[in-house]
Amino acid sequence: MSEWPAAAVDYVQAITDTKLVLGHRYAQWSLAGPSLEDDIGGSSAAQEEVGHVRQLFRKLESQGRDGDWLRGDRDPEEFANASCLDAIDGDWTEYMATIAPVDRAAWYMLDAVDRDDMDGMITKMGEDEYFHLEYHDARLETLADESPEKLRSTLAETLPSALALIGPENLDDDADPLVDAGFTSQSVEGIRERFVDHYRDLFADTDVSLEDVDWDAPDADAWDETRRRVGGGGIRKEDLVQIRGERNAEFAIE
Amino acid sequence: MSAKQRTGGASGPSHESEFVQRRRAGASTFEEQLWTELDGIPDPHIPVSLVEMAMVYDVTADDGHVDVEMSFPCMGCPAYDMIKNDVRSCLRVVDGVDSVDVDVVWDPVWSKDMLTEPVREKMRNSGISL
Repeated sequence: MSEWPAAAVDYVQAITDTKLVLGHRYAQWSLAGPSLEDDIGGSSAAQEEVGHVRQLFRKLESQGRDGDWLRGDRDPEEFANASCLDAIDGDWTEYMATIAPVDRAAWYMLDAVDRDDMDGMITKMGEDEYFHLEYHDARLETLADESPEKLRSTLAETLPSALALIGPENLDDDADPLVDAGFTSQSVEGIRERFVDHYRDLFADTDVSLEDVDWDAPDADAWDETRRRVGGGGIRKEDLVQIRGERNAEFAIE
Repeated sequence: MSAKQRTGGASGPSHESEFVQRRRAGASTFEEQLWTELDGIPDPHIPVSLVEMAMVYDVTADDGHVDVEMSFPCMGCPAYDMIKNDVRSCLRVVDGVDSVDVDVVWDPVWSKDMLTEPVREKMRNSGISL
């Protein structure tokens, strides 16, 4: 496999870490849904996200990233997951309004990768993501009827976080280094536009107002291009213990 | 019960999809033997072999070393490592095989179109709809 630009490794690392934490969030909430259908959907999504991570780790290892480090031998501040996944302390509505935009953002970023040696893998992931995103949208629409205010206030936090994962709007066709390197076929600006249009359309005929959302986020000057977020923070130590599988290490297949 | 018995026997040409037949067409006599061995490994979820499931994409042997390319219907398959171990364990005991590498690939993407009608029938008989 040819060597990727450093910015491309960071880009895929952020997608991977987001999927890794997302998989854990799905699993943690998979028995907390309001219906069995929600639990089954969440469990399936958890399994698929972790499956995606397993393949993305292989790609990152081929680019020099250490396998143990990838699998959790690092500090929370070294994870490049979307910031809104650091902790989800609310109820089901807040959970759904957090994971849905992040899953979509990570997929759009992956879908923008333009490499022949990743095409099949990404297509396969897209088969899974199609169902994740369809499910999320259907659920967000029902929640828009049931608890529009909570959905509004949560999305005001999580949509900018997902936009920070994608990147700042100044990375257009002329300025995006990954487009310039031929690693992606769509600039950050283009991905953002696709993402923003989707949510504006989804909630257009609902009682959920998106007027409070900072659609211009993140501030390019404050943006951490490695962790793809603004500000510090990270997952909790307990999350790290789970990601590392420390308590179940004796059952690992070598 | 052998693995071959568990999967209902080796898959003859009628159980192999055109895709597998194309991949298998250029196999040497020894590689053909390895394909047959792999055809005895059952999918842990479904009563058909990995070859019948069109999960084995390529088998090449060179001076005692064997490379197997395979794919998975589900990227999040919980039996991912177990199946790879099955492939390695199955081939390592074959005379003339010193080492085995298993590479998981996603091109082409696995699809149900790779299954033959006899395999589909087996799956339907097991209650799996396609």
